[in-house]
Amino acid sequence: MAESWRANGPGRILTGADITRDYEERADACVIGSGAGGAMMAARLADMGARVVLLEEGGLYTRNDFDMQEATAYPHLYQEKGQRATADLAITVLQGRCVGGGTTVNWTTSYRTPDQVLEHWRIVHGVEGLDPATLAPHFEAVEQRLNIREWPVAQANANNRVLWDGCGKLGWQRAATRRNVEGCANLGYCGMGCPIDARRSMDVTCVPDAVKKGAHLYANARAVRIDLHRKRASLVHAEVLDPATDRPKGHTVLVKPKVVVLCGGAVNSPALLLRSGLDFNGRIGKRTFLHPVVASVAAFRQRIDGFYGAPQSVASHQFVDRGPGKVGFFMETAPVHPMLAATAAGGFGAGHQEVMARLGHVSALIALAVDGFLPGDEGGTVSLRKDGRVRLDYRLRPQHWEALREGNKALARVQLAAGAETVWSLHEDPVELRSEADLAKLDAAPWRPVRVGLFTAHQMGGCAMGKDPDKSVVSARLKHHQVDNLFVADGSVFPTSLGVNPQETIFALAHWAAGHIGHNLR
Amino acid sequence: MPGELESRRSFIKKGLVGAALLATGGGVWLGTRSTQPDPALKGPFQVLTPAEATVILAIADRLVPPRRGFPRPLEVEVPRKVDAIAAMAHPAVQHELRQLLGLFESPLTGLTLDGLAGTFSGASPEAQDRRLHAWATSRIAVRRTGFRALKKLVYAAYYASPETWTAVGYPGPPTGARR
Repeated sequence: MAESWRANGPGRILTGADITRDYEERADACVIGSGAGGAMMAARLADMGARVVLLEEGGLYTRNDFDMQEATAYPHLYQEKGQRATADLAITVLQGRCVGGGTTVNWTTSYRTPDQVLEHWRIVHGVEGLDPATLAPHFEAVEQRLNIREWPVAQANANNRVLWDGCGKLGWQRAATRRNVEGCANLGYCGMGCPIDARRSMDVTCVPDAVKKGAHLYANARAVRIDLHRKRASLVHAEVLDPATDRPKGHTVLVKPKVVVLCGGAVNSPALLLRSGLDFNGRIGKRTFLHPVVASVAAFRQRIDGFYGAPQSVASHQFVDRGPGKVGFFMETAPVHPMLAATAAGGFGAGHQEVMARLGHVSALIALAVDGFLPGDEGGTVSLRKDGRVRLDYRLRPQHWEALREGNKALARVQLAAGAETVWSLHEDPVELRSEADLAKLDAAPWRPVRVGLFTAHQMGGCAMGKDPDKSVVSARLKHHQVDNLFVADGSVFPTSLGVNPQETIFALAHWAAGHIGHNLR
Repeated sequence: MPGELESRRSFIKKGLVGAALLATGGGVWLGTRSTQPDPALKGPFQVLTPAEATVILAIADRLVPPRRGFPRPLEVEVPRKVDAIAAMAHPAVQHELRQLLGLFESPLTGLTLDGLAGTFSGASPEAQDRRLHAWATSRIAVRRTGFRALKKLVYAAYYASPETWTAVGYPGPPTGARR
């Protein structure tokens, strides 16, 4: 073993198109998933000299593949061809599935973990050692590597201007967001993959970093099982998918690792542990949080062109803390491309068409509920269906509905304050507002599952960190409580949601955890 | 709307019937036996039968009613595109979609749940809108879910088509953006 250390051969990338036989690999670390957690982990471990095998279920795409068409982007780059949702379809799930994971398609918004969230994790969930001072150097490192910087309000598109101006008029907190971009041309197609490689996503940063240091990347290689032998993860089985059909080709990749780092993200990481029979306390898939999103669309007299320009560059955290017993929310923006807007807009027929006919004048704002902090707020559940497919259930509690309703009212107020002529909710019988006097209509609207369109772009939890092995899945060092060489390093380890967009927290957690995971490999 | 005004007893009965229909998978069998396939449809389809594609087209024609500047769903091949989306999905999802289309189309579900006799595809536009709205706002959660599934598929197929962009004032992706 000693001779393999620092004896990496050249790095290698194989996709499902290249693979025509079975592969077997020995590795210091098998990293499963190439998103915010996995790519960062792979790059760090490879840099420390470890032999890394990186498995990615999705395909490998480069800027020439990113054609800025919704019809190709969502089926290729998102989970379940862009059709992932909770089992009752109440909440549409936007979640990446490609090399780079969510970082290849997210809207670039980057926040450090709020100090009070880390404090809550320590006090309530026994997550010791993850304090702001410990994480600070890791935030600094990833901010430097990924060029995370504030995006000037002067460059905000008109949709983000609506949030900025509306909050200004109402006297509400507002701020420019930080984005992981370099040479961004303000095109507005972040959600479909950056066609000019301006986004510093994992597919153009940490994945190539890892490969340069000798990592082997298998794309279209779906980890299906982790074998356990004497309390150790002994073998990772992956099936190779045909990139054209996304169906198994009949070839496998077998990885015999010293350590496994699971980074499949919330939903898929718990699903793999369940498939592998590694749920020893019934906690896998529990405490899944979504930042459930309600949206508000509004038509303005002037053009908004919400399909162009950085999709998210302004946010308001005015209502993130609404006092005891209440679920907080924060407000951001969404791009206004035709397919995304049409599938989100409420109602059908002529009313729906009227909104679509004015799309170039439409602003779309979102309010994200901060779930998982109230006592008894256990979030959703990831489980397996009889046919092996993953199932996500999320029952919104009365406190969530209250937050979504108040969030929708706040968004409508912002849009009206910014000069909107008409505001619509996303109810199947859309609520139409023309002035603040109409806000009461939102109180009267049906706030029930599948009566109003809801979304999630932030999936968290399902392999919660915690001190108590009976109540959590991994330790505060991200090690599986019952398996000695299995770590989880992605958004699934959060014991609650965050109250901010999650990617930078995942980057920093992986960057931090790679230190002790790599050290133990020596 | 049906479902909102009816008596509790009748609601429970209809709810059970609806749930039973969904649970038994009767949809595929029941569904499209009396549907007249639209001869204008361009097959072949990978997942849907011509009758099921006809139901998709009938739904799309009401989700996107005739309006100046908006191409008709058949012109942008909504049934073929929905079929293509379905073809990418897991076989179990394909089965669920076909079952849902059958239930939505079926004269039996129409009669028991909405008091509308006849198939969806053969109904008048007004009756079709009533059934769509009844499903969208039903007290029975599985029907709202079913409506949501059909709506998302149809609108995704229609509005992702560049032929529809002029109608919505979307100039399309910027040209010359790449290096």
